[in-house]
Amino acid sequence: MTDVAIESPIAQAIAEGTLPGRVWLYTNYHCNLACSYCLTESSPRSERRQLEPSTMLAVAEQAKELGFTALGVTGGEPFLLPWLPETVLEMASHLPVVVLTNATLFGGNRIEHGALLAHPNISVQISLDSDQPDVNDMARGPDNFAKVIEAVPRLIDRGVRVRIATTTGGSLDAPELDPLRDLVAGLGVAPDDHLVRPIVRRGRADEMALGVRAQARDIPSELTITADGAFWGSFGPTVRAGRLDLDLLLTRTVLPLSVPANALLGLLGGMPEGNDANLGIR
Amino acid sequence: MPRIQLLDASTAPMTAESYFAGGDPGPIVAALANVPELLGPTLGFIGAALGPGATTTRHKEFAILRTSALLGCRYCIHAHTTVALDVGLADVEVRALRGEMALEEAFTEPSEVALIRWIDAMAGATGPLPDDVWTAARGFWADHLLVELSATIGATMFLNRFATGFELPTSAGVLERLEHEGFDTGMAADTAGAS
Ligand code: SF4
Repeated sequence: MTDVAIESPIAQAIAEGTLPGRVWLYTNYHCNLACSYCLTESSPRSERRQLEPSTMLAVAEQAKELGFTALGVTGGEPFLLPWLPETVLEMASHLPVVVLTNATLFGGNRIEHGALLAHPNISVQISLDSDQPDVNDMARGPDNFAKVIEAVPRLIDRGVRVRIATTTGGSLDAPELDPLRDLVAGLGVAPDDHLVRPIVRRGRADEMALGVRAQARDIPSELTITADGAFWGSFGPTVRAGRLDLDLLLTRTVLPLSVPANALLGLLGGMPEGNDANLGIR
Repeated sequence: MPRIQLLDASTAPMTAESYFAGGDPGPIVAALANVPELLGPTLGFIGAALGPGATTTRHKEFAILRTSALLGCRYCIHAHTTVALDVGLADVEVRALRGEMALEEAFTEPSEVALIRWIDAMAGATGPLPDDVWTAARGFWADHLLVELSATIGATMFLNRFATGFELPTSAGVLERLEHEGFDTGMAADTAGAS
């Protein structure tokens, strides 16, 4: 951490635990899947709303300077972007990065695209919702289960740190999830790297009446950067009926990163305590 | 119909929440809220430029209404016709500033005639001001008043283009008032249904 970061109110707020340390970046909004609970209504036909690699690198660099401690990359499906691995590798020279993916684009030789992220500062977070292929695939699309089960060990074999994220409409500690936990462990993923989180009722999930209702204070206030502006939390820039939700918009300005970061900090000053810990939204 | 989404309390960004707390803030705020970081500085400038200052409210309304008429902004002409009447301008003065009758029929005070000619040159022309217009205005109006009024004109020109470009709707209340006062709302034909 530089002297600038130590003096920054943002670094102080992160150190005090009032501001989360991670900055999320939405690389794009289009996806090869169209999951039923997708927050961003992503599908192959979605508007791309794509961040430029240069913007992502500037965000990473400035996040580090401001005192943020980690980066997250999500979409849409980030691996639809051919330049994604090289950009993430460069971002990881500034801060640790977690990249979210559906892992369905790693078949055959394409696994080497993901394997480029074998780096001590990078982890790849893959969605898997059930140990039952048909249950998983009902929400996430045909053959999703099989593709994930194939990709995870191959990535781990190539030195990639893999995390699994399970999104559930049920209780987060339901015994029905135990077989899934066993399956994930059997794939070589450490128990701490298996996240279970609720469906958040925003985006397509809202249209389908799925998941938990959440207000701003329920959603982790991680600064989130998109092509449409900066938002409160990675659950902020959702899309409903084709229109971007603006309720959690902070600023349209994303760079310099201090502009949205300070807007977020200003809001946190007047925000009552939230219960994201109770809802488990992460 | 407005050409962009006008946000309301349920769709506005959290950073714009305070602007909606007191009810409908009107279409300018509802449009600006699409870029919430613009609200504070823009409304701050507009408030300072159009609000109370060293210039009388009467003469500020000269600048606002005349500029809006020169730029053909229905929304601002409608809104400031009512404001001008409220601050005491006579019916004929408002009509003259709106360009509906000759200025000389409504204004005889030399300082006011000089001021309106200066406003016309500032808002309705390009390039430097004609010397005679400047000299006449400067003979009655101090530097700081002309500086202040230039800010009023500039803010009004921004609002004129903003409201016209995005086709912001005149409120039903303003249209009713204009009709009641006998002002032509024909120019509002394509906004009347949008309020
Ligand atoms: S949830 Fe993820 S994988 Fe599914 S459609 Fe949305 S972006 Fe794609």
